[in-house]
Amino acid sequence: MARLLVQLKLRLLLNALHSSRTAKISFIVSTTFAVLLAIGTFLVLASFRGKSTSVDLTAVIFTVFAFGWLIMPIMVFSVDATLDPATLALYPLRTRPLATGLLAASATGAWPLANVIGLLGVTVGLASGALGVIVAVVAVALQVLFCIALSRFVTTSLAGLLRSRRGRDLAAFLIIPLFALYEFFAQVVPKATAEGKITAASFTGFDSWMRWLPPGLAAHAIQDASAGHIGLALARLAALAAVVIVFVWLWVRSLSRALVTSDTSTQSARVHGAKLPLARSGLRGAVAARFWVYQRREPLSLVFWAMIAVITAAVSASSVFGHNRHPGVIIASAIFGAAFVGIFHVNSAGLTGPAFYLEATALSRSRDLRAYFAGQNLVLAVIGAPLVVAVCFALAAAAGRPGVGVEAAPVVLAALGAALGLSNLFTAVLPYPTVKRAGTPFLVAAPGYGGYRIGAVLATLAGTAVAAAPVIIGVVLAASDSLAVRIGVLLPCAAIYGFLLALAGVRLASAAAVGKLPELCQVAMRSAVS
Amino acid sequence: MNTPADGARATDSLEGLAYGRVNRPAGAPVPAIAVHGLRKRFGDKEAVAGIDLDIAAGSLAGLVGPNGAGKTTSLSMMTGLLRPDDGRVEVNGLNVWTDPPAAKAVMGVVPAEVRLFERLSGAELLEYAGRLRGLPTDEARSRAVQLLDVLDLSGDANRLVADYSTGMRKKAALGCALIHNPSVLFLDEPLEGVDPVSADVIRRLLTRFVGSGSTVLFSSHVMELVEQVCDHVSIIDKGKIVATGTTDEVRGGKSLQRAFIDLVGPRATDEEVLSWLGSSSS
Repeated sequence: MARLLVQLKLRLLLNALHSSRTAKISFIVSTTFAVLLAIGTFLVLASFRGKSTSVDLTAVIFTVFAFGWLIMPIMVFSVDATLDPATLALYPLRTRPLATGLLAASATGAWPLANVIGLLGVTVGLASGALGVIVAVVAVALQVLFCIALSRFVTTSLAGLLRSRRGRDLAAFLIIPLFALYEFFAQVVPKATAEGKITAASFTGFDSWMRWLPPGLAAHAIQDASAGHIGLALARLAALAAVVIVFVWLWVRSLSRALVTSDTSTQSARVHGAKLPLARSGLRGAVAARFWVYQRREPLSLVFWAMIAVITAAVSASSVFGHNRHPGVIIASAIFGAAFVGIFHVNSAGLTGPAFYLEATALSRSRDLRAYFAGQNLVLAVIGAPLVVAVCFALAAAAGRPGVGVEAAPVVLAALGAALGLSNLFTAVLPYPTVKRAGTPFLVAAPGYGGYRIGAVLATLAGTAVAAAPVIIGVVLAASDSLAVRIGVLLPCAAIYGFLLALAGVRLASAAAVGKLPELCQVAMRSAVS
Repeated sequence: MNTPADGARATDSLEGLAYGRVNRPAGAPVPAIAVHGLRKRFGDKEAVAGIDLDIAAGSLAGLVGPNGAGKTTSLSMMTGLLRPDDGRVEVNGLNVWTDPPAAKAVMGVVPAEVRLFERLSGAELLEYAGRLRGLPTDEARSRAVQLLDVLDLSGDANRLVADYSTGMRKKAALGCALIHNPSVLFLDEPLEGVDPVSADVIRRLLTRFVGSGSTVLFSSHVMELVEQVCDHVSIIDKGKIVATGTTDEVRGGKSLQRAFIDLVGPRATDEEVLSWLGSSSS
């Protein structure tokens, strides 16, 4: 069974090379990243040699890997059939050989191999002496086994939930902390490290609690063996092996149950209050009501809003954490935050998907389409404006310059109007079908339409910045004026200016869309949004 | 039964017509659906190769054909969702492609692959469909409740559409198509993947709808269903109407299934290849 499942995994991997161009590129990119991970991790772990905190740093990296093994399979559950026991439930297989086979299949492939090779960097960075190296090799093997057992146990236990609509929704939200973490490492860590705020010594103390976790046991076993405490090292390895055995046992039990238990996909949610809001606002109100409900119930919409907050904050990270606390960066945050409200909603028909037919069969006149775009803009403005302004105020407060928040607010209002207008315009003139990206809640342009997406994003970003320029000039000129002038004059002027920009976008977009509703509908019908 | 040759003659007789409206003898009733010379090509493939179709008001008409015959493409062009390369479509005398607002107002559409607004509840979805069609909100809500009741979805009115089964989605989509009380209803494979109970609910609703003088055109490849409920049948194959007329005319004394296979052509099978198949073989 183990051999068969390993062969199956290898066959699936090799088939990707003979599949579509997209699958081939995806396979090559994935393998390249795995190789880079292996080399990078090995070099980083090896570079800890001789450092007083090497065991702490090694334990941190081991824990990060375990965390990755825990999170990633949950996110890619729906696209990796080998993670779902239901795919094997129809075959007459006994649990034990099946478990062995699945474990062997999990350890097969570029990523598990990259893990092993990368973590073997400890043989250079932490281990010393022959005994230390031998224990390091065993510790790495046990660490990888622990990661696999943990990952299999969690995904199998959650299989029923992850197969359901609600489970997939929950998995989608995992992208938010990962994106925030990425932005933190990309924006904050390099600056903080360059300024000496993060050093190797920053990790001192992690050891006190991490040493008792399985990754910590592996790291400390290597250090103990290198220091000549072989008994202690073996005890730690035995403890780690016991943890692995417990997880494998739990996983086998969970697998036995999953193979004979019906799934939870038929469980469903009821909504409170079966009426849409904005009852008296005509077609615009109807569109806004549906869009408003979607902002609350659709995971992708919630992910977008969280990402807009993260992007707005990340753009000003240097202002908050760096030495050069220049307020101009918060104005940039205001523009980026507002622009991304538009960017995330460009290509409305493609994002709506085949359900757009319901709207396309009802909308036909220019005024219908004006109501359609205006209804969506209304909702985006009601959520987007306070969100971006609030993040800008928070950034200004964190930078010790709360007044900059007041200066950012009019820029947000003007930029948001421009971004929404441009978003409407590109929805009408540059529609493209979308597909779901594997393992994430995001919709990306279908193969062959990447240029449309990039064009719309860059043009919206640049157009928003250019359109907001007069307000930025106004803010600079009014910098020495009193707060009353800035709030009482600049804010309403910027709001009116933003409204007019959005209105112009709505009118241009509806004029462009009215003659190409069938084309918009075909784009929507070709989109695979779920 | 009309043959392809009749169709060709019909097309010839339509040449030189005024743009946007089909000439017909004075006093002749306006067909609920009039399609003439409809064509669509995707690259090298001619999906619809010039179809002509007249469906009288009050008909329950079936458009049948094998997979890939052009049923969905034809219906999409008839409903204004796919731009044709050539041809005219009129619904109640209103040109779908030159006067879409007027034509869309009298149409209801249920596409083959029913993808709805999944994060709305059934009740919210029907209310949204009604409000999109310009119904006052109270009226939209009231009709939504009544339709959900008739469609046997009252108990699931507050559940998200995302959690609906295929049959429930088809019924919800039908509710959306009916909420503005259209006079012509286009349905693409309305009973595909639907359980017998839901199918019966849909069938009864369509019969009642047609009984009031409205018109239904639906595509299907389930001959038994078409034979049971339709008074008018058109058979489409390789993008062309190969037979059209009343159900009795088209089947010509045979079952519709037999007539369909005779017209479309039986598939060649080589049963010798599967000699191992069956319990008597090893």
